[in-house]
Amino acid sequence: MKSKGFRFYFRIYCKILAQDLKSKMSYRADFIISTIGMIFTNIAGFVSFWILFRNFPSINGWTYYEMLFLYGFSLISLTPVQCFFDNNWSLRIYVYSGDFIKYCFRPINLFFYYQSEVFDIKGLGQLAFGIGTLIYAWVKIGLAFTPLMILKMIVFLLTASLIMISMQNAAAATCFWIQNSFYVLDLVFRFKDYAKYPITIFNRLFRFVFTFVMPIAFIAYYPSLVILRPDEIPILSWISPLVGCLFFFLSYKFWMYGAMKYSGTGS
Amino acid sequence: MSQIIQIKNITKEFKVLNRREGLKGSLKDLFSRDYKIVRAVDNISMNVEQGEIVGYLGSNGAGKSTTIKMMTGVLEPTSGEILIDGNIPYKNRAKNAQEIGVVFGQRSQLWWALPLIESFKILKDIYQISDSDYDSIMSLYQSLVDIEPLLHKPVRQMSLGQRTLSDILAAFLHNPKIVFLDEPTIGLDVSMKSKIRTLIHALNKEKNTTVILTTHDMGDVDALCRRIVIIDKGKMLYDNDIAHLKGFFGSYRTLKIRTDGDISEHSEQIRKKFPEFKVSADEEWISVLVDEEKEKVIDVLSTLQKTHKIRDMQLEEISTEDVVKKIYEEGVS
Repeated sequence: MKSKGFRFYFRIYCKILAQDLKSKMSYRADFIISTIGMIFTNIAGFVSFWILFRNFPSINGWTYYEMLFLYGFSLISLTPVQCFFDNNWSLRIYVYSGDFIKYCFRPINLFFYYQSEVFDIKGLGQLAFGIGTLIYAWVKIGLAFTPLMILKMIVFLLTASLIMISMQNAAAATCFWIQNSFYVLDLVFRFKDYAKYPITIFNRLFRFVFTFVMPIAFIAYYPSLVILRPDEIPILSWISPLVGCLFFFLSYKFWMYGAMKYSGTGS
Repeated sequence: MSQIIQIKNITKEFKVLNRREGLKGSLKDLFSRDYKIVRAVDNISMNVEQGEIVGYLGSNGAGKSTTIKMMTGVLEPTSGEILIDGNIPYKNRAKNAQEIGVVFGQRSQLWWALPLIESFKILKDIYQISDSDYDSIMSLYQSLVDIEPLLHKPVRQMSLGQRTLSDILAAFLHNPKIVFLDEPTIGLDVSMKSKIRTLIHALNKEKNTTVILTTHDMGDVDALCRRIVIIDKGKMLYDNDIAHLKGFFGSYRTLKIRTDGDISEHSEQIRKKFPEFKVSADEEWISVLVDEEKEKVIDVLSTLQKTHKIRDMQLEEISTEDVVKKIYEEGVS
């Protein structure tokens, strides 16, 4: 048996992805409607944000454009979880019905195999919207376009994505123990909405919770400080890439632990 | 020939919460530590040689699936040893997966939205099948079944029969040493059943693949297996040639007829005519349990036809459940 490294998995993922896209395109009406739906969701989100700022020109020392930056940042960093890990939402159904067992018989990584099955194309609309917002805010704030800045940006975007993915993995994996894990997933999914606000607007308790318990502050706030407030970066911002990797690793282990003790239903 | 599957005294126990009744009971259950141990598989041992087709039988809940899950590495036995081609399956699931193929009758493992040929190509990459092996198995498939119309059809658009066929082909694709088939013919019509039996038989012969077949259909067993293993309530009841078992039970068949007129009266007449057979009747059918060693079913039928106007008839083979029940009651040595 040849070794199964990154290239092996990458090849398989690309193949499944290409096939999946092809089959999705064949449902044209479904594709168009869900794309329109995604655009409207984004516009609605943006409008409520904009209304808020017409009344409060700055929140806790954060200007409109800085907030917009945070908003765009969170949209982009939520894209990978939407595109690549959307199958987590179906996990509880597969586990409950016993169909999850079909993933257990392949000689490849179970987590990879499960997640590779679905690619949610709707995330791409969100990505485009996020990039547009971010660039607009970037220009308005007058940030420099240097290679270093862009590198920082990419590193911290990846960090933020990892955190969101980790939270969703962990929430989805609870279904290996409890019957209805939908509420756990939904809770995490709702909390991510707070990610687009600077954590300083919350009181001490929630600041603690959002940093250490449910680390949504790492999705946009701590990483974007590195770009926006280079003079007052807290230590938590610098360690956030590490936190991201660590959380991802832990959530992966948790997910796999649940999957390995899964025994299926009778047939 | 080598022993591809070696199972020694395996037992699997599950911890099950003792559930109480009613809402109040459910609330109490939330905090309960009152578990009981259920033994799903109890001290089973068997060896299977490369190339054998073994029928693995038992009624629902007998522990078949649990045994298969242990052989495929999904479950770890509570005690005992399993070696699949020299590997301990649950310790190295991925390596074991390379050597086995699994088909569940009702659950397709193929990509739902993809045409079959694309699923095959992905499987080719996953199992790292070489081009030449892939080409040779594909041409073998083409010689065995009419695969062309299936290849470009998305799995979700297939009929159950086509899907099962595709799943079986997919399970054999990487030339595994063992294929586990869990009720492959469930819900299929007669012609599809026979197609699938022929295919399994041919693949087993061609590739010398070991096949472990669980089924409730004695037709599958008759067509494919020389050896059967029966378990009940987790315990091994029987492990021997099918011919041996047939000697005990295979000669029994149930002839069911529907006649014009009063059923109880007719059944009474039939009972008098064939005192050595068990005759019973419900609202519609009169059943005669015929021992073919004493008289052929066809002769019984022609005798009956002379005296009764038969509107309809059915012939029932003795079912797995009946066999298991009989073995349980009477025992087989």
